Amino acid sequence: MSTPSSEKTKMHIDPTERAWMRAAIVVLVIFAVSVTIAGFMLGIQVPTEEQRVNPQTIQDAPPWSEPGVREIVPGEKYDVYIVSKRFFYEPSTVEVPVGAEVTFYVTSTDVQHGFKIQDTNVNFMAVPGEVSKLTTTFNEAGTYDYICTEYCGLGHAAMFGSVLVTQ
Amino acid sequence: MVVDTEKDLASGNPTGLWSWITTVDHKRIGLLYGASALIFFFVAGLEALLLRLQLTTPNGTILSADAYNQLFTMHGLTMLLVVVMPVAAAFMNYFIPLHIGARDVAFPRANAFSYWLFLFSVVMLLSSFLLGGAPDGGWFGYAPLSTQLEEFVRMDYYAIGAQLLGIASITASANFIATVFTMRAPGMTLMRMPVFTWMAVVVSFLLIFSLPIFGVGLFQMFFDRNFGGQFFGGTGDPLLWQHLFWLFGHPEVYVLVLPAMGIVSEIFPTFSRKPLFGYPFVVFSGIAIGFMGFGVWAHHMYTAGLGPVAEAGFGVATMMIAVPTGVKIFNWIGTMWGGKVKFTLPMMFAIGFVSLFVIGGLSGVLHSVVPSDYQQHDSYFVVAHFHYVLFGGGVFGYVAGAYYWYPKWTGRMLDEKLGQWHFWLMLLGFNLTFAPMHILGLNGMARRTYRYPEGLGWEFWNQVATVGSFIIGISFLFFAWNLIKSRKDGRVAGNDPWDGRTLEWSISSPPPVHNFDEIPVVQHVDDFWYRKYATDDEGRAVRIPDVTGGTIAAETDTGGEDAHEEDMHMPSPSYYPVVSAFGIVFMGYGLVYLPGGWVAVGIGTLITMWGVFGWSLEPVTRDADHD
Repeated sequence: MSTPSSEKTKMHIDPTERAWMRAAIVVLVIFAVSVTIAGFMLGIQVPTEEQRVNPQTIQDAPPWSEPGVREIVPGEKYDVYIVSKRFFYEPSTVEVPVGAEVTFYVTSTDVQHGFKIQDTNVNFMAVPGEVSKLTTTFNEAGTYDYICTEYCGLGHAAMFGSVLVTQ
Repeated sequence: MVVDTEKDLASGNPTGLWSWITTVDHKRIGLLYGASALIFFFVAGLEALLLRLQLTTPNGTILSADAYNQLFTMHGLTMLLVVVMPVAAAFMNYFIPLHIGARDVAFPRANAFSYWLFLFSVVMLLSSFLLGGAPDGGWFGYAPLSTQLEEFVRMDYYAIGAQLLGIASITASANFIATVFTMRAPGMTLMRMPVFTWMAVVVSFLLIFSLPIFGVGLFQMFFDRNFGGQFFGGTGDPLLWQHLFWLFGHPEVYVLVLPAMGIVSEIFPTFSRKPLFGYPFVVFSGIAIGFMGFGVWAHHMYTAGLGPVAEAGFGVATMMIAVPTGVKIFNWIGTMWGGKVKFTLPMMFAIGFVSLFVIGGLSGVLHSVVPSDYQQHDSYFVVAHFHYVLFGGGVFGYVAGAYYWYPKWTGRMLDEKLGQWHFWLMLLGFNLTFAPMHILGLNGMARRTYRYPEGLGWEFWNQVATVGSFIIGISFLFFAWNLIKSRKDGRVAGNDPWDGRTLEWSISSPPPVHNFDEIPVVQHVDDFWYRKYATDDEGRAVRIPDVTGGTIAAETDTGGEDAHEEDMHMPSPSYYPVVSAFGIVFMGYGLVYLPGGWVAVGIGTLITMWGVFGWSLEPVTRDADHD
């Protein structure tokens, strides 16, 4: 840095550093490609904001006045509407068959809540004023608890429900 | 708090409590920051131990849900804003001027103001425990929960307290930037600065750009709570808060860890007796981390439903930030490689920093993968991750810095035996506490829950974590005892106990008020080393005779008459910074207790105006008219 000759203005990079940086760039390219493939070609589902609603009046009209399971195609396709409130879910149990395509619609009427189904990677926020939507399929029968993962106050630890997946 | 040294007494420096309250000396303010941060570290540690006690057994009964919520909120707030940031500010205050060959920071009284505003704001935040309850909406304060919480004033303490801490930090950051850009010694180009000072510059810019965003969010929260605002509830958007908060909150993570990275970048070359491997890369990767830190905030919000495009983009950006971090780790290993490594206490903590930070960094890359993050989001896996980064990274780094620079602060060495106890207990306790949280998180244990049911298989690892947390607590008792004991009984250090490389080791320990008798002229990175050592034909360092690590004088007397001590103008002590800071916190209390608090707001405004006017009108030095 001290001498202004043209030799020194080019930054010296140690060969090991150069190799390290190349390896890092290759790893990054692999990451980027696999994320792109997963996001756009394999159709991996991420929770999305389905629509905006008024949290105060949402339960005045269907479907939210009677949250629960809607059978679209028996044994194959189900919609599940769940309302989260401090500190419980409506309904607190839902039942769906194994292998069916289940779409969850979840919203909140007061503060943020979370909606995480244990032992799966279904996990999204229930934001007041927004309906979150995610489609998933349960391949094994059993009971899957859904718990609140967003801190919502005093009763946060006791806020859960369960999905019964039947044969 | 009064830590006058024998040297102060001998040299006629002002002593006593009043001299510490009115001090504008960057070294004393640094020590004040450090001492306060250490005390608050013990407060935050006690909060954490209570949380761990509660979670030892299923359905724990030690704390109520209400107490637990206050404690975990305050543990986060205290550790991030009240411990780690000030401890970084302590190192920056003390060493930026010494590293660049300056006699003080650019704005000494603003520096004092930053400290006192920080201290008063923390006292205000902690006083909320006694005045109806501490903030309980989480340190992240997600709206609309934080704007709806029934409890009267708790989240107002959060909104105002964090705002005031932010003002203190912005003032300090502007000060550090001005110092580094305008007050470097002759020859001290930017690319000859010690890496710690470089990281301090990056952190200062990060704070100046990110804290105002948080400030806006806090004001909106305050309006929603007190004046019927609709920013986050009603017709507003709850996600707005999350965006504002994390746009501050993610750069904040780098604010906490970059100074620690700077500290270990000083320690590795000293104890490997080699220059830092790839100095420009360490600097530029630090700057790159700073820039990219602003482009990754939404990885805290993958579950908020941002859609696949945004999530893929933030996922890749987050993976990318691992590259400059990896570059640094590689450079530290490269520095040790082939060096004459001496396993002193600072070096052991620095190696601990790198090892644990790598584990935390790798689990961070796991979070950047969107589908895997859905399983980990808000589980104990995340708690494990950020403690490995911030405690394993941050705290280990700062403790390394304390062991490294304690001789410069006090003139005495820390006790080796107590230090060994501290290191091994801390390493053991840390891993016992936080490694099991990875397992708990993957098994589904959620964060921020004050108790958990029986029979889920979480009992054993929770017990291990609690035992570990108490071992960490014990290890820091060794540290505190060491700090107190060694001030009197420690081995006398001399100017340069570690055979150091940077300018602070060229002056006495502790340094004189004016730092440098004559401002050094700098010719190299690690300039002090090259004044002590030449390189022989085979590239080995050979000691230059007759240089004993004493004061280095400028080869040419560039400063003329002004370079001599008798004509140096050191800024005079001033109590106006304390008055201004006190007035602002007085206003803060008033704002918390609206509408009755308007009276206090008015009184606080008057006090602040008195402080600010007095500050502007008083002369900077007692003999300022003397040219």
